[in-house]
Amino acid sequence: MISLKDRSTQKMLLLLLGALILIVLMFIGQVAKMVIVALLLAYIMDPIVTRLEARGISRAAAASILMLSLITLAVVAIMILVPAIRDQLVTMSSGTQSAKTELALMRLQEVVRDKLAWLGYGDIDLKVKLAEFKTTMSQKIVDFIVSDFIELIVTLVTIPFLMFFFIKDGLTLKKNLIKIVPNRFFEFSLDLIYKMDQQLGNYLRGQFIDAVSFGTLATISLGIMGVPYFFIIGPFAGLANLIPYVGPIAGGLPAVIAAVMESGDVSRAGHVVLVFLGLKLIDDLVIQPMAVSTSVHLHPALVLVTIVIGGHLFGIIGMLLAVPVTGFCKVVITESAQTLKQYRLT
Amino acid sequence: MKGFLIKSAHQKETKEGDICHVLKGMPIFQKLTRRELNAVARILHEREYQPEEIIFRENEPGMGMYIIDSGNVVILSEAANLELTELNAGAFFGEMSLLDAAPRSATAKARSTCRIFGFFQPDLFGLIERNPHLGIKIVLGLSRLICERLRQTNQRAYEFNEALQQMRQGQK
Repeated sequence: MISLKDRSTQKMLLLLLGALILIVLMFIGQVAKMVIVALLLAYIMDPIVTRLEARGISRAAAASILMLSLITLAVVAIMILVPAIRDQLVTMSSGTQSAKTELALMRLQEVVRDKLAWLGYGDIDLKVKLAEFKTTMSQKIVDFIVSDFIELIVTLVTIPFLMFFFIKDGLTLKKNLIKIVPNRFFEFSLDLIYKMDQQLGNYLRGQFIDAVSFGTLATISLGIMGVPYFFIIGPFAGLANLIPYVGPIAGGLPAVIAAVMESGDVSRAGHVVLVFLGLKLIDDLVIQPMAVSTSVHLHPALVLVTIVIGGHLFGIIGMLLAVPVTGFCKVVITESAQTLKQYRLT
Repeated sequence: MKGFLIKSAHQKETKEGDICHVLKGMPIFQKLTRRELNAVARILHEREYQPEEIIFRENEPGMGMYIIDSGNVVILSEAANLELTELNAGAFFGEMSLLDAAPRSATAKARSTCRIFGFFQPDLFGLIERNPHLGIKIVLGLSRLICERLRQTNQRAYEFNEALQQMRQGQK
């Protein structure tokens, strides 16, 4: 039984309240996103630094080696990918359509006029609508990149900087955090942090490996199939795959639309669907069992609600962070409840 | 500013030196070099307990061991309502929890104001991952201590058995 009259309990409650206020404050504004992303990345990359340390390198040097390698990798990737992505964005924003696309649109429009006229779509011009949609979408992407350029640069500089310090001083930060815990809750907190570390570490690293593997496979497959914008759709499919249930559909849909529109052949949709089914099969049978050793079971409804909330508050990053953050909260609550039972905190 | 930084660094060094001095006196850490002792000191958790404050309770999960820097700690059996022993500065307790997560077999309570250092299993596992060489040295030290205890227990069991047999022969 926990008694509210007890000084230790009061201290613990105050500490929790303080942490809650801090979290709420942190969630307001851009800082929250950067800190969460840096923390998650630092957490995911920590085993690499530990392995370097085991080879006799100091933690600071190991963290520096990791960051330099990541920055080099990012620069090389940007140099290779940015021109390709830019070309694809330019093609997308120009709104040009191939003859095949026009043919496919005409066929589709006939079907809509014949079968769906009663819904009020009889006089719809799909060609114009599609051109408008593509221009609007690509304009939004370009606007996002241009208008948020300074914010993007600040984010790109701040995240690696924060990440470096979280990796280098993570152990000290954790120790100082435990230091302020009252004596009565000391071992309980230590036990809880250890259990959470075990569960979350495996879960987050697994999710990261899964997203990277799926994204790479999707990009290669779509590239081989000649699906346009594969440099954008592939990584998007990898990220979307992090979101359970709706993610694989959301990731595959743009590929299907792009393939049909480019070729004007509806049967291409079937090919892309087949490829995505194959990728999902590889993901479920090979990648996930190998990478995601710990599954944090989340209810589908909860996942959808958190994605909507995340998207509403922080946009696309919010949607992507929604699942790991919910997983984190679930592990914290369940492990706290289980560990609390083992301790007589009166 | 410079003076503050030097003072702060000096305080840190003195503090680590204090901890190392305490650690060096323990059989588990006796074979460790100064540098290795510093690495251990960095992962210790310093805690202060007031008189009558509970450090850990019987049957709660065991997370690790405690080293007394100053003050007195009493070990109690709540089940038998018995005071088992009183430990002073330099002594340590709960070391078995470094190897397994079995529940605590007794309760530890501060008798006077205590300054103690906690050395915990998750931190030991982390140290083994980061510095396997040092980790092995600590685990070996711990194994030596447990071997010594086992030898003593065997000797006592043997003596107890001898005494029991002599009692039986006397009864016949």
